[in-house]
Amino acid sequence: MTATDLLVQQIINGVSLGAMYALIALGFTLVYGIMELINFSHFNVFMVGSYIALYVLEAFGISGQSTLMSGWPLVGVLVVALLVAMVGCGFLGVVIERLSLRPLRGVKGPSAMITTIGVSYILFNLVLLFLGTDTKNYPNPLPPLTFAIGGAVLRLREILIWVISLALMAGLYVFTRRSKMGKAMRATAQDPDAARMMGVEVDRVIMTAFFLGSALAGAGGMIFGLYYNFTSFVIGYSAGLRAFTAAVLGGIGNVPGAMLGGMIIGLIETLSGQVVAVRWTDVIIFSLLVLVLVFRPAGLLGRVAPNKS
Amino acid sequence: MITRRSAVGLFAGTAIATTLGGHAYAADKVIKIGINFSLTGGDAESAARMRDGALMAIDEANAKGTVKGYKLEAVVLDDATATAGQYDPAQAATNARKFVSDKLVVGAVGPQMSGAGKAMAPILSQGGLAIITPASTNPDLTDPKFAAQYRPAGKPVYFRTVTTDAYQGPNMADFMATKLGVKAIYILDDQGAYGVGMADAFQKRIAEKGVKVLGRDQLDPKAADYSAILTKIKSMNADSLYYGGVGTAGVKLVKQSYDILPNIKKAGGDGLYGGDLLKGAGFPAMDGWYATIAAPHMTEDTKLSTWMAAFKKKYGAAPEDYSITSYDAATIIIECIRALAAAGKPVTREAVRDAIQVGKFKTLQGEITYDTNGDVNSKIVSVFQVKQDDKQPLDDVAAQFKYIGVAPQS
Repeated sequence: MTATDLLVQQIINGVSLGAMYALIALGFTLVYGIMELINFSHFNVFMVGSYIALYVLEAFGISGQSTLMSGWPLVGVLVVALLVAMVGCGFLGVVIERLSLRPLRGVKGPSAMITTIGVSYILFNLVLLFLGTDTKNYPNPLPPLTFAIGGAVLRLREILIWVISLALMAGLYVFTRRSKMGKAMRATAQDPDAARMMGVEVDRVIMTAFFLGSALAGAGGMIFGLYYNFTSFVIGYSAGLRAFTAAVLGGIGNVPGAMLGGMIIGLIETLSGQVVAVRWTDVIIFSLLVLVLVFRPAGLLGRVAPNKS
Repeated sequence: MITRRSAVGLFAGTAIATTLGGHAYAADKVIKIGINFSLTGGDAESAARMRDGALMAIDEANAKGTVKGYKLEAVVLDDATATAGQYDPAQAATNARKFVSDKLVVGAVGPQMSGAGKAMAPILSQGGLAIITPASTNPDLTDPKFAAQYRPAGKPVYFRTVTTDAYQGPNMADFMATKLGVKAIYILDDQGAYGVGMADAFQKRIAEKGVKVLGRDQLDPKAADYSAILTKIKSMNADSLYYGGVGTAGVKLVKQSYDILPNIKKAGGDGLYGGDLLKGAGFPAMDGWYATIAAPHMTEDTKLSTWMAAFKKKYGAAPEDYSITSYDAATIIIECIRALAAAGKPVTREAVRDAIQVGKFKTLQGEITYDTNGDVNSKIVSVFQVKQDDKQPLDDVAAQFKYIGVAPQS
């Protein structure tokens, strides 16, 4: 392997990781943009998503390393699993919002944020109790197709991650720019009171934000499982924390910022592992975060929010 | 006046009284044995097998009435927490305090993890409570150099039914250098007490053997992605990889190294031996990995086949070698209690500890005796390689880990 091949390989690794972080980061950003709330339950909505997809795949008989299906039926099953995971997590997000956050609407201070931490632990412990503590072996139904780029290897699962993430992010972007609900979301983000006066149903907007963000986390959960071939009740913490960092780095509340932040964190993670050592990865990521926030407190693409008082 | 309702009540009352009375005559004195393993998270499967080994010894002793006048009771605690996803030293310390504060606990079996052991040992030492570990192999725990830290009260309380990584790591290094003929190796650990110690001991010996150590790094057990470091190892043209650590990071390492480094020799210690890896990483990723245990290999011993069958029947899963070391650990404690009770001496913690220190114990793995630090006198390290056997359940440890032999010791 030459130095260039190595760099290409690490960039492939980093972009795949970044795409997954970006999907999760979007959920933080969507909710924060509208409610100025950091939703920590998002960590474990992502984890639940990977379990939902796991059980859907197993229901279709895809488990372990089986290569029962190929071609279009396989694509079909993967799409079904992805949709079920997304819709399932979307509804989970809506339920979390309805049951635990709506009663706190208008309460000043950090109580809503603390509540989301509590909800996160509830999800975590429910999975722990009912689905077991062991690391689950995730099915690997993808054909072992690889492409050589010089000495670097691009696997089908990396392409899959990129395609799904890009499609979902593009979809979200178009939705927030073009659709009526998207416009209502942006209006609420700018000024909830004015939006309400213009006839925007703020509760529905918030619910939509929770649905979309959680659905993206569900997709992220399934991608995580297919990519790493395992899931466990603990995966939410480290992936969620990195994704949250990505959202803050890119400018929380800003959709393209979340994508940019995810990519940056993913690339730093792999390149610092190559050049320095993996034991320093966290130090490097969080030092960079501190540096960025010192010079650009609103993140890379974020604008300092207007004073809403 | 006795109404119909009160008659029912009286009858029920009499029935309860009779049942209670029935038990009362057999009221042996209760004595407790603590059991502590990492029953949640990435190493839960092996933990359950060890717990069952200890429980089996206790149940058998109760059924046979081995200890006259006493009923043995197991106190099972879990030192893993959900937030850690594996063993948690803080929880281990709490559990050690629970054992120490329960006056009826006279001995304990566990822990599985050296990181937990390091947290428990000082507390157990202050409480004078002996513990016998069937699996934790970090040498510091019994090393007199660290006596102030791990046995502040003086006498050794940390005994084992396995040898330590002072043998497990170097012996495997000898095996890889001489038997496998590796030339350039990369070494990883999982930042835990066991993993770091194991990798250090391995690295020192393999370098002495003239094998080129390309580098050393540490995996974060909570992270999901190890592709960066594995790609780096690939670019260095390593012909082998050694991992010191337990299942939580191990499962992910095995999975991802299968994709990125399919053709090099890969090995680990007893942290990679067990059902957690077979279940979590599965095949084909596990195929070809070498692992060791710090004990003789016993599950294929024909003399133990009845014991093996009884275990499988009782707990629904095949035992691992560390189920046997765990059974042995409980056996030693029970034997000490039996001898004290039979001699009419009070069964106290101090007496049990002293009895373990000087005793000669007949166990499934053979005779066990202890040196002055609490280490077993036999230093056997067994080497295994995973080779897929489709005819057996894929998570059956005895079937999928093929015994290669005892690692050479120079």
